[in-house]
Amino acid sequence: MLLRLPSSLHYPITVTSLLKRPGDEVQRDEALFWYVYQTTVTEGDGLGNKVDVKRKFPTRFESTVDGTILNWKISKGDVIDEPVEIVEIDEPCAHEVQYGGLCAECGKDMTEATYNTDITDSMRAPIQMTHDNTALTVSEKEATRVEEDAKRRLLAGRKLSLVVDLDQTIIHATVDPTVGEWMEDKDNPNHEALGDVRAFQLIDDGPGMRGCWYYVKLRPGLESFLQNISEMFELHIYTMGTRAYAQHIASIIDPDRKLFGDRILSRDESGSLTAKNLHRLFPVDTKMVVIIDDRGDVWRWSPNLIKVSPYDFFVGIGDINSSFLPKKQELGPLPEDKPTSAPAEHHVNGSTEMGDVSEVSTLEQLVTMGGGDNPRLLQEQSDAQDETIMHQVEDRPLLQKQKELDAEDDSIETSDSSSMDESPDTARQRHHLLVDNDQELIQLAERLEQVHSQFFDEYDKKRARGLGGRVAALRGEKALSKEKDVDLKLVPDVKDIMPQIKRRILGGVVIVFSGVLPLGTDTQNADISLWAKSFGVTIAHKITMKTTHLVAGRNRTAKVREATRYPRIKIVTTQWLLECLTQWKRLDEGPYLLPVHPDDRGQPISPSSKEMAESSWLSSSDEATGNESWTDTEETTELNEDILKSSGLTEVSPIGYDEDQQAAIHEELKEFLGSDDESESDSEASWAVDRDEVPPTSSPGKKRKRDDDATDEEEASGSDTQTEAGDVPGSRLSQRIKRSYERSTGLKEVATASGTGSAAGTGTGTGTPSNSGTDRDTPEVSFVETEEEAAASRNPDAAYPEDPVEDDDELEREMMAAFEDGGFDSAAEEDIGAENG
Amino acid sequence: MFFLKEETKVISLHPSYFGPNVREYLINRLNEEEEGRCTGDHFVICVMDMVDIGEGRVLPSNGQAEYTIKYRAIIWKPFRGETVDAIVTSVKPTGIFTLAGPLSVFIARKNIPSDIKWEPNTVPPQYTDHADQVIEKGTSLRLKILGVKPDVAAINAIGTIKEDYLGPL
Repeated sequence: MLLRLPSSLHYPITVTSLLKRPGDEVQRDEALFWYVYQTTVTEGDGLGNKVDVKRKFPTRFESTVDGTILNWKISKGDVIDEPVEIVEIDEPCAHEVQYGGLCAECGKDMTEATYNTDITDSMRAPIQMTHDNTALTVSEKEATRVEEDAKRRLLAGRKLSLVVDLDQTIIHATVDPTVGEWMEDKDNPNHEALGDVRAFQLIDDGPGMRGCWYYVKLRPGLESFLQNISEMFELHIYTMGTRAYAQHIASIIDPDRKLFGDRILSRDESGSLTAKNLHRLFPVDTKMVVIIDDRGDVWRWSPNLIKVSPYDFFVGIGDINSSFLPKKQELGPLPEDKPTSAPAEHHVNGSTEMGDVSEVSTLEQLVTMGGGDNPRLLQEQSDAQDETIMHQVEDRPLLQKQKELDAEDDSIETSDSSSMDESPDTARQRHHLLVDNDQELIQLAERLEQVHSQFFDEYDKKRARGLGGRVAALRGEKALSKEKDVDLKLVPDVKDIMPQIKRRILGGVVIVFSGVLPLGTDTQNADISLWAKSFGVTIAHKITMKTTHLVAGRNRTAKVREATRYPRIKIVTTQWLLECLTQWKRLDEGPYLLPVHPDDRGQPISPSSKEMAESSWLSSSDEATGNESWTDTEETTELNEDILKSSGLTEVSPIGYDEDQQAAIHEELKEFLGSDDESESDSEASWAVDRDEVPPTSSPGKKRKRDDDATDEEEASGSDTQTEAGDVPGSRLSQRIKRSYERSTGLKEVATASGTGSAAGTGTGTGTPSNSGTDRDTPEVSFVETEEEAAASRNPDAAYPEDPVEDDDELEREMMAAFEDGGFDSAAEEDIGAENG
Repeated sequence: MFFLKEETKVISLHPSYFGPNVREYLINRLNEEEEGRCTGDHFVICVMDMVDIGEGRVLPSNGQAEYTIKYRAIIWKPFRGETVDAIVTSVKPTGIFTLAGPLSVFIARKNIPSDIKWEPNTVPPQYTDHADQVIEKGTSLRLKILGVKPDVAAINAIGTIKEDYLGPL
């Protein structure tokens, strides 16, 4: 190695003699050459005075390494002004592989440090690259060599590397002992789904939980998936679980160790409990690596990542090995699996959590959490982990959920028997909590195949080109065997190929989010945004002519209103985006279109009076569906009422307007403040909407009236709005007044929907906004139809008439019940009629 | 290398153990705590016998009795240059991890004879000279220790099989 002078010498120095000749052996700390340097010292001048004098001092320079001198870069008499290379020494061992502080090749202690040590030898091999051992480190050179070997081998076998996450990607694990009981109990409704759940016990799992049982559900189709994939990829496991956990899982999913071998990296070796780093496994380059994981943030949205939708079999358990990670941003439920009140989750999760490296807050968060060099912090984190596991064992979240479900079933049964007699055994069927219908792996296999073939197409193309040139040059000498001619320079980069594939999918799509991300989130760096961006989506803040899609988490936001003015913009639910991202397809927006409230239909370029009449006709029906979405935030309803009261107080303040004008002004104000309204956090926004919908000044009389003749509501509302439509000539102001009237009818609807919604919400919650919304392609549906549908969809699941848990306002509930019963009966009759003929 | 070493250990005993079985209890305690321990310098393999249990001295303030026990134990202190038998725990492109009893020894690729090559395509992966020598997980190896480094409660060692009479058994 080339020896350099340290910067700590007194420059300039003058070399006075070289002590060694090329070919000589040197020991560490042996003198290499003499030099003199000049410095100022304080001396006595013999008279008691102190004088500063410049003096020259001769000194030896000592070698910092052992070895044989190859050649000198300096010579006698040289004056050296700055650190330069002085001599090349051939070391017998470059200490490129070190094990536990020892050089693994020569056995020297690498941690020794003397006065002469510039950098300790242990710094020469800083890279950990084995899966299951942290004591072994290698130098960059060695790492490159090992990796190139591996790459040659993979290319020859036409394989890529695939880093596989365990939890929620290919398996789902829980420690809830309920699972064990259900597996034993043949009568349990979940028994069937639990058929292939495997269990194992981790004994050494820390104090307080001796022998905790883990229940592992493999993602459907896992075995064949791994089998197929392993022909195209060399598989690695990278998990946040402990080593013992990872080993157990590996022996479940790969009993012969043919797929994964020893290539298992757990959190014991990862070095960080919060982030995964591809360089831990592939320190030099990651051209041939693909990752599958259910979380993008832990990988910092690496371009090698294929994000899969999390496998959530044990409902509500989540990832048992990532409890200290930043919370996932839940962005809407999966299609028909669990249509629970997803928007409500937003504000629960809250805050800006994930993002990429560039985002300071996230980075800080990751830094504070990822105390790789802070053993105390690591300990704390794993303690916290233990605690969550213990809680899960004690709290049995699954059991609680099933109980809820059962309770709900019971109440439905009672309501069923009272209304109509369906076949008893279907009614008797207990709903089961766990559903085994995941399809992700099939799609995932396709995507991996796509990446694989694309990669090797590219590689073959490049190689053919390279070969062609050479063949032309060497003429006829093309005996190079295909296998051996693996040129690493021609290897394409997965980091280029995957984004290329992905960008094609949603390229050119410009998205504006509305009601999707909580307040304060950086829309550019939120989880979903980063994910979408990797597919070529452009995220915009404001709606412009360039916008192609408005992704709305809720209905009736200011942006939805604004977007309706641009005919080009498709207003879709979050579902559309998520499906596109998981399926790697640009899906047809049709089924995902958000039913826009007619009131929100902004003035397009040419508003026709007919259209308006129509919309006024339909208003109440759409309000019914719309309201469901606003009131999803069950938890906040009480709070909302408080807010309503307080806001009502201010609104009632005596100004000289009458009700209508006031409402109109209110509306105008709302439109004016629309953009602010938009960025509010979900809960706040929903209050705001509610507040807007319910000007307390204008309702009471109307409400009572509506309640009285709720049974034939269609006519009532029809006449209601029609009369208004009659005296609306089409001017903006009057239109707003009209709208405000409709809002007042909306008040009652709000109460209704919140009642039914809450009843449904405690249970399966079938009637969610996006779902019922997506049923309809267009918002212009006749009222009867809507009512019928709504009633039909609520009918089997929701227990609205009497819900014991509900402790809402008693009176309100009774009124609701009366109303619902009426509507329900008629709907049911129609239903039966439809069925019969 | 194995040694028979005389050592002393101080054990404090709770008063509830005072009685006719004190001696047995002390023996148990000693065996439990000492056998298999790694001091960083050596491994205690087995406690042979107690030379002297000494008199228990009751500590003022908490009533516990303190015994200073002299005992003899077989210890193993690995040395550089020592030849040991070990079992392979895993093989990597960079080398072989082995366990010689309690001691984990790593054999770097450089210290493997050059005719024994890394062969990743087999299941499980192995080092082999494509003849009778196959080194994979579970193989018994005879190796020579090249270096030993004491740690707090462990010893790391590196070894070689690149000499005569070393390698798979």
